Amino acid sequence: MLSLTPQDIEAIALSVKVATAATLLSLPFGFAAAYLLVFTRIPGRAVLEGVVNLPLVLPPVVVGYLLLLLFGQSGVLGPVVHFLDIRIIFTLKGAVIASAVVGFPLLVRSIRIGMEGIDDQYIQAARTLGAQWWDILSTIIFPLCGRAILAGMTLMFARSLGEFGATIILAGNIPGITQTIPLAIYEYTNTPGGDGMALSLCLVSIGLSFVVLLISEATARSFRKR
Amino acid sequence: MEIRKCILFFLLSLFFFSALPALAGEVRLSIAASMTDVIKELVSSFGKEHPEVFILPNFASSGSLAKQIVQGAPADLYISANQKWMDYLVQEDKIVAATVQVFAYNSLVFLGRKNPQVRTLGDLTTLSLIAIGSPKSVPAGQYAAQAMEAAGVYEQLAQEHKLVMAKDVRQALIYADRGEVDGAFVYRTDGLLAQNAVVLFAVPAGLHDRIAYPLGLTHAGTTNSEAQAFMAYLKSPEAVKILNRYGFEEAVTEQ
Repeated sequence: MLSLTPQDIEAIALSVKVATAATLLSLPFGFAAAYLLVFTRIPGRAVLEGVVNLPLVLPPVVVGYLLLLLFGQSGVLGPVVHFLDIRIIFTLKGAVIASAVVGFPLLVRSIRIGMEGIDDQYIQAARTLGAQWWDILSTIIFPLCGRAILAGMTLMFARSLGEFGATIILAGNIPGITQTIPLAIYEYTNTPGGDGMALSLCLVSIGLSFVVLLISEATARSFRKR
Repeated sequence: MEIRKCILFFLLSLFFFSALPALAGEVRLSIAASMTDVIKELVSSFGKEHPEVFILPNFASSGSLAKQIVQGAPADLYISANQKWMDYLVQEDKIVAATVQVFAYNSLVFLGRKNPQVRTLGDLTTLSLIAIGSPKSVPAGQYAAQAMEAAGVYEQLAQEHKLVMAKDVRQALIYADRGEVDGAFVYRTDGLLAQNAVVLFAVPAGLHDRIAYPLGLTHAGTTNSEAQAFMAYLKSPEAVKILNRYGFEEAVTEQ
């Protein structure tokens, strides 16, 4: 029953590649955004919060279309893209950017919850001992929200595995380059007689998500043991 | 007591609203994407003479439509851009074989950004991104793949991942028009609608099957007199004039 064509295997490998790249790429930015929202009082925090949460409430297709308007040939950043001689539309970079943007709010949300859970007394004690903000960041904040960071990464990875709307608009459906599992399943559902293949890919997708969840649970448990 | 009245009102209104569509005489069309504009005009000109008929067109790639019909989507008339999907539906006993006939013909072109270097299929290997309808479900993509295989470039382009799969021929057209790809395989009739892209060359007709649009009635369509009236209208001289205006070649029926 589980018959996968070479194109399907390519789609699976691509999904994992894109999700991993998107998660790792967003991590530093997500951490920075969460830190700014929780521990600082900079002006415009409300705007930052709104912008960060926007991809969560917008339909993914809208996110994809806005990114297309940004990075397209005649887009806002068109001249910049041309100058740097890089292509975003219909490339792997586009697929990674689409997944990264759509999953970003989930990452920030999780890390924020972790950061807000840190007892303020630790930070205040560190300050009385004369620690600078980067010292506090690396020795107190970062270790204490490790689990939250992991949870955020898992959530974002899983979301990226299933990202469809923004990916198909920004990166298109190119087998071997941007055709991730959801795009491949979509193509099969449009094809008469493609139901068996679509189901096989669905099972793979479910299996992948399970594995990700199990790994995240195991790592979270090992954190707790410390 | 208040809650009961609310629920009763809600259920009654549901009942009334769901009964409404069944009262009107309606015709459901499933049309290949490349015929979007010509069918819209044909529907509006048919509507002038038959204002009481409510026509609901559904435009998508022929393969997607065939799949929808097989899965039970309501349709009276189906127009496909190739014989393959019509034969598939006849085989699945969704279309009445006796009603099937070719409605129009078309031809394939390659259009894209202005580029004097690209004049034949062989020149395509110099480009970096080409859009075609997904050959799995879009006839335009199937014809394009056939032509590229005959010219010996398909294998190379596929291996170099230079082909962007569009969900129907209109999406391929948009990709080329926006300049996101170097070119796309579309029908000549779609090429007439392009605003920025230009036709670089016409695909030699001998390299692929003749692009024919068969139409047919479903079982529901054969019992729907308005659907049959619309089908008859599609063969009228007035309809042929509209077809020609959009660039389609009409099918000459053997007497």
